[in-house]
Amino acid sequence: MNTKKTNSNQMLMTLLKGRTFIVLIILVIFFSVVKDNFLDPSTLTMVAKHVALYGILALGMTFVIITGGIDLSVGSVVGLVGMLAGGLIQEGLTLSFAGVTLYFSVPMIVIMMLVVGAVIGWVNGLIITKLNVAPFIATLGTMYICRGFANLRSGGATFPDIAGYEGLGNTGFKVLGSNIANIPAGVYVFAVLAIISVVLLKKMPFGWYVLGVGGNEKSARLSGIKADRVKIIVYMISGFCAAWVGMINTAQLSAAHPASGDGWEMNAIAATVLGGTSMAGGSGTILGTVVGAFVIGVINDGMTMCGVSEFWQKVIRGLVIILAVVIDQTQRNLQAKMALQARNENK
Amino acid sequence: MKKKILAACLSAAMVAAMLVGCGSKPAEDPAQDETPTEDQAEEPGGDEAEEPTEDETEEPTEDDTASGELLPGGGSNILYCITPSTSNVYFKTVQDIATEKGTELGYEVKCFSHDDDAATQLEMFEAAIADKAAAIICDNAGADASIEAIQKAYDAGIPTFLVDREINQAGLAVAQLVADNAQGAAAIAEAWVEAMDYKGQYAELLGLESDTNCQVRSENFHSVIDEYPDMEMVAQQSANWDQTEGYEKTEAILQSNPDITGIICGNDTMACGAVQACIDAGRDDIKIIGVDGSDDAAKYIKDGQMVGTALQQIALITQMAVEQADAYLNGTAPEEEKQLVPCVAITADNVDKLSSFVYTE
Repeated sequence: MNTKKTNSNQMLMTLLKGRTFIVLIILVIFFSVVKDNFLDPSTLTMVAKHVALYGILALGMTFVIITGGIDLSVGSVVGLVGMLAGGLIQEGLTLSFAGVTLYFSVPMIVIMMLVVGAVIGWVNGLIITKLNVAPFIATLGTMYICRGFANLRSGGATFPDIAGYEGLGNTGFKVLGSNIANIPAGVYVFAVLAIISVVLLKKMPFGWYVLGVGGNEKSARLSGIKADRVKIIVYMISGFCAAWVGMINTAQLSAAHPASGDGWEMNAIAATVLGGTSMAGGSGTILGTVVGAFVIGVINDGMTMCGVSEFWQKVIRGLVIILAVVIDQTQRNLQAKMALQARNENK
Repeated sequence: MKKKILAACLSAAMVAAMLVGCGSKPAEDPAQDETPTEDQAEEPGGDEAEEPTEDETEEPTEDDTASGELLPGGGSNILYCITPSTSNVYFKTVQDIATEKGTELGYEVKCFSHDDDAATQLEMFEAAIADKAAAIICDNAGADASIEAIQKAYDAGIPTFLVDREINQAGLAVAQLVADNAQGAAAIAEAWVEAMDYKGQYAELLGLESDTNCQVRSENFHSVIDEYPDMEMVAQQSANWDQTEGYEKTEAILQSNPDITGIICGNDTMACGAVQACIDAGRDDIKIIGVDGSDDAAKYIKDGQMVGTALQQIALITQMAVEQADAYLNGTAPEEEKQLVPCVAITADNVDKLSSFVYTE
C-alpha cells in the first residue's frame, strides 16, 4: 500500500519535473493541428529566431534569479546597445578634443558592445552589493538611465542603415541578423550561450557558488564564498547577454531604434520562471529556461499565425505563467512530503 | 487527483485558445463601412455645435472677434513654446519651427519641454505668466490634465495656441491645431488600394489598440479599402507601435498567409519593421503603407520598398500657430478654435519634397 503510493508519487514527480517540456509538446501538437504549416522547417526556424532574442536574455536572467535577485534593466540595455552599435557604424566615434572620428571594424564593435553590456551589469552589481540597494530598485534605476541614454544618443531618431561603408571597412554587421546555412545567426548565438551557461552552472565551481548564494547567503558566506563577487558577476552575465540581444535585434531590423527592447525583461523573467527557476533563489536550470523560452515563443507565434487578437494573447500568456508557478509550488510541496516520508520509512 | 486538476486546467486553456484563435478574424468588416465616412464628414461641424453648449461664457471670444474681447497678452514680446520631450524629433520640429517663425516675426522665443508631466507643464505656464509672455504655443501634456494650466494663462490674459494635441475643453485656448488623422489614413489608403490594383489579400498591423489614434487610423483605412469587394483582410494584429514587434508579427503573418500582397500599418515604425521582414523573406511584391511621414519611411519609399505614408504636417501646424498668434496679438482672432490640418499622402511621386516632417510644394 505504502510503496504503491510512493510509486504514484514518484511518477507524478517525474511528470511535474518535465512539465514545461510536456506543455511545449502539447502546444506544438495543438498548433500543428490548427495550422497545418506550423511544423514546416521555415515556421520552426522563424519561431527559433524569435525565441533566441528573449531566450538569450532569459539565460542571463536565470543566473540572476538563482541568486535571488532580478534584473529589470536588460530590455533597456538591448535598446542602448543597439543605438551605440548603430551610431558607431554610421557616425563613428568622434573625439572632439583630438578632432578625429574613429571608425571601428565590426568585430571590434561587437567586442565593445559586449563590454558595454558587462559594464552596465557590473554597475548594477556594485549598486546592489556595495550600496545595499534592493535588486528590483537598483535595476529599475539603471533601466530608466539606459533608456534615457538610448534616446539621447540620437535625439530619439533611428539609425536607419547599419550596413556600414565599404571604404571605412565596417561592413558586415548585418551577418548577426541574417541566416547562415538556413539558420538565423541569433539561434547559433543562443545555442552557444546556452551550452556555456549549462557548463558554467553545472560543471564549474562558480555554479555551486551561484546556487549557494541564492539558497542561503549567510551559510554561503560562512563557507568562504565571496557572495558579493558572485552577485556582481551574475549581473555582468545578464548585461553581456542583453548586449548580444541588442546587436542581433539591430542587425535583424537593419536599423537601431531607441525604443527597442521595451518591456522585454518581462518576457525574460517569464521564460525563466516557466523553466522552473524559483523567484526566491537557490534553484533553477538552464535547460528549463530554454524550454520555457520556447513555450513563450510557440504561444506568441502560434497565436499570431492563428490570428488571435493581442488582448487574448496577453490573457493567455498571463494564465500560462501563473499556472506554471502554481505547478512549481505543487512540486515543491510534494518534494517536501516525499522527503518526509522517506525519512519516516528509514526510521 | 492533482493530475486531474492539471489536466482540467490545461484543457481549459487549450479550448479557450482554440475558441479565440478561430473566431476573431474578419468579424468587423461590414459594420465599418458607413460609420467612419460619416465621422469624417461630421467632425468639423460637430465640434462647432459642441463649443457653445459646453462653455457658454466663452462664446464672445469666439464670435465677437472684432469687438475687442481679445486677450491682451502679458505685455512683453516673448513667445513661450512648451512641448513634450525633444528626444523625439517630432517634438523637436515643433520647437525649431516655432523659434524660426517667431524670430522672423520679431518675437523672442523661449522653448521648454514638459516631458509629458502636467505638473511640470503647469510650472512652465506659471513661469510664462511671471515672464509676461505675449502668447504660449503648447503641445500639451494631456487632454484633461492641461486644462488647469491653460486656464491660468487665460486668467492672466495670455492667449494659448495648442498644436498637435487637443484638450477636452473648448473656449480656453484661442486655437487648437491638430493633424487630421482620419483624412490622412484615408488618403494614403486610396494610394495603396490603387497600388494593389484593387484586389488581393492583405494584413493589418495595428498600434496600441487602446490608443485613439490607432482606432481612428484603422477605421479610416477600412472606410476606403472595404469599398472594394476583392480586397480581403486575412490577418489583423497589434504590434504596439513597435519596430521589432512589427518585424516579428509580419514574419508570423507571412508564414500563415503567404498569399498576402499588402500590409497596412498604423505608423511608420511598424511599417519599417514590416518592410525589413518582407526583405528578409525575399518578398518584394508586398505593398506596405504607414502613417507619420518619418524620414525612415521616406527612405524606404524612395527605394520602392514602401508604397507610401501619411505625413502629419507638424511643421506646417506649428507655423500656422505662430502666425495665428501674431495675428491675434495684432487684433485678428482665428475663425475657428479647432482646426484640422490635412495630412499629405506621401508616395514615390512626391517623397522628394519631404524632409524632417516638412513638405515643400
